[in-house]
Amino acid sequence: MIMREREVVIGHRLGLHARAAAKLVELSSKFQASIVLFRADPTNPVEADARSILSILLLSAGYGSKVGVRASGVDEEQAVESICEYLAG
Amino acid sequence: MTNERVIHGVVGSVGFAVGRAVRTFDPLFVSFNLKLRPDRVRKEIDRFRQSVEKSREQLKRMQAELRRASGRESSFLIDAHLLVLEDRLFVDRIIEKIETDSINSEWAIQLVSDDLFQAYDRLDDEYLRERRGDLEDIVRRLLHNLRSTPLPPFKKLPYDAILIGKIIPPSTLFELRAQRVVGLATETGSPLSHTAIMARSLEIPAVMGVAALPEVSSGDLLIVDGDRGVVICSPSEETQAEYKSRDRDGRRIKKLAGASASAPSVTEDGASVSLGANINFSEEVRSAIACGCESIGLYRTEFDFFREGRQPDEESLVADYSLVLKTAKGAPVTFRTIDVGIDQKSWDGINPNLGVRGLRFCLENTHVFKKQLRSLYRASVNGRMRILLPFVSTVDDLDAACEIIMDVRRELDLKRQRYDPRVPVGVMIETPAAAQTCDLMASRVDFFCLGTNDLIQYYLVIDRSDQSVVHLYNPFHPAILRCLHQVYALLGPTGKSVTVCGEMAADPPSAAVLLGLGFTSLSVNLGAYARIKRMIRSVSMTQLRELAGEILKMQKPKEVEDKVRATVYRS
Repeated sequence: MIMREREVVIGHRLGLHARAAAKLVELSSKFQASIVLFRADPTNPVEADARSILSILLLSAGYGSKVGVRASGVDEEQAVESICEYLAG
Repeated sequence: MTNERVIHGVVGSVGFAVGRAVRTFDPLFVSFNLKLRPDRVRKEIDRFRQSVEKSREQLKRMQAELRRASGRESSFLIDAHLLVLEDRLFVDRIIEKIETDSINSEWAIQLVSDDLFQAYDRLDDEYLRERRGDLEDIVRRLLHNLRSTPLPPFKKLPYDAILIGKIIPPSTLFELRAQRVVGLATETGSPLSHTAIMARSLEIPAVMGVAALPEVSSGDLLIVDGDRGVVICSPSEETQAEYKSRDRDGRRIKKLAGASASAPSVTEDGASVSLGANINFSEEVRSAIACGCESIGLYRTEFDFFREGRQPDEESLVADYSLVLKTAKGAPVTFRTIDVGIDQKSWDGINPNLGVRGLRFCLENTHVFKKQLRSLYRASVNGRMRILLPFVSTVDDLDAACEIIMDVRRELDLKRQRYDPRVPVGVMIETPAAAQTCDLMASRVDFFCLGTNDLIQYYLVIDRSDQSVVHLYNPFHPAILRCLHQVYALLGPTGKSVTVCGEMAADPPSAAVLLGLGFTSLSVNLGAYARIKRMIRSVSMTQLRELAGEILKMQKPKEVEDKVRATVYRS
């Protein structure tokens, strides 16, 4: 299966807080691909479903932190692109 | 020309109050954890889905209102709430739990949200950690909607308020106590309901069982007269003036009663009586000790336990219980483990009084029971604690509870956590079964308490909240006298102490009967403390014993009551 993956630095001043997370869910829902956000900390790898606000909040991605975006599905390319664009702020 | 109208109910809590009516809904925060029959699971999932749908509609409406009032800016918070309701991590997992564990929605919500709360609490980011508040809010709303009741729209009240409603749950009354609530009137309920008990401990005048209450609307001027058990709607100028003058008299009497509270509780002929205080909330300990109470004879822990609308975590329970013991300054405090099932009509219409109540609930929800026991034991090093088990009806249940207590202690031993291993454990005698077999339980426990409210309800087959039978509730019924006499006789040889902590101990004539029957340890709500102390100091124990002998031979409650009143109020 093909998959797209890219890393991005969070550019929102408060990190992925409630409003940013809500926007992210809204944005992710526009795509058909399944989208996962992850933090590649080898000691504590965390993944989040980009359509689940609770899991995004639990990712606890603060301002300036690095997260990966992975998508797989027909529109994976656009999905990764626009989500990274949004996260970069 | 005046529209003054007097509507009748029964006394819930004494005193009176003038204010304007505020109608409340009946939000019940306490959720019940129930196992379901496998064939009920499908229906339960529908029930959960309906509650999600209902919550969504409410939030949408709220969002629209917010947008109208303040533009898009503040409505995004609601977006987050709405998204939680669509979140698979939340909703799907709850449905899965209902299915796999065959449990009710409330329980599943608790399990799933508890996991999430823990995950939130582990976050490093303080701002994000604070977001658990959103989830809490949603959980609260879902639990409310499962009971098909709207959330209370309470903000700061603009005037002295008299809460009116069909039912006003004790937790609501408590939450609103600081909000200028001066009185209370409910359509249902009786003086023995927990709402009334709560009103008394907060010293808020209350009238219960006011059938004509639906005619009153929010904003109406009302007088709640808890001494006469009436509500006066649109009182005339004269009536208002009359109540104002009574207010002045009332304060004078209270002052006199307060003065005698510090005197020892010894009868005229030198017999000493132990008099403790019943409390519902940890905050009341301070005033109880200030009033000179020698002990907290009954702390009904379920109100504090469920105060926030969900189960508290162990650390905060340990802190709360430790503070209670420290505030008591060495006076013994009897913690009754949570007794749920009262005042809460369970959602499928089963009478909770005859169902999963008290210890039965705890034995079915051992995780809740153990959490409380662990917290109690961990707090026990801070003072003199006693643990009381409610609603025990068989030796088997008691053995099961004792085994759980031992489990908890072993667990603490393993973790090398400090606790007082000598904490006395006792049984609440409040079912006929316990009254008949208390001697069989005696070797297993250290002490007993006698809960007369429930005992009378079960003995005389009278639903405490049913208005059509509440007048039949009578502590002077020969059946009750014989029952009490028997309990005393059964426990005498065992040497185990027994404290009476029902309403019977709080009313001077019936309390005098208890003394006469041999019960020399009473515990009453703070409002009654001074008057019971005065009664004790004014009677002769020898005379009360004779009185007890005489009334045990009588046939009718009325005869008994007349005889008792004539003896207690002879002067």
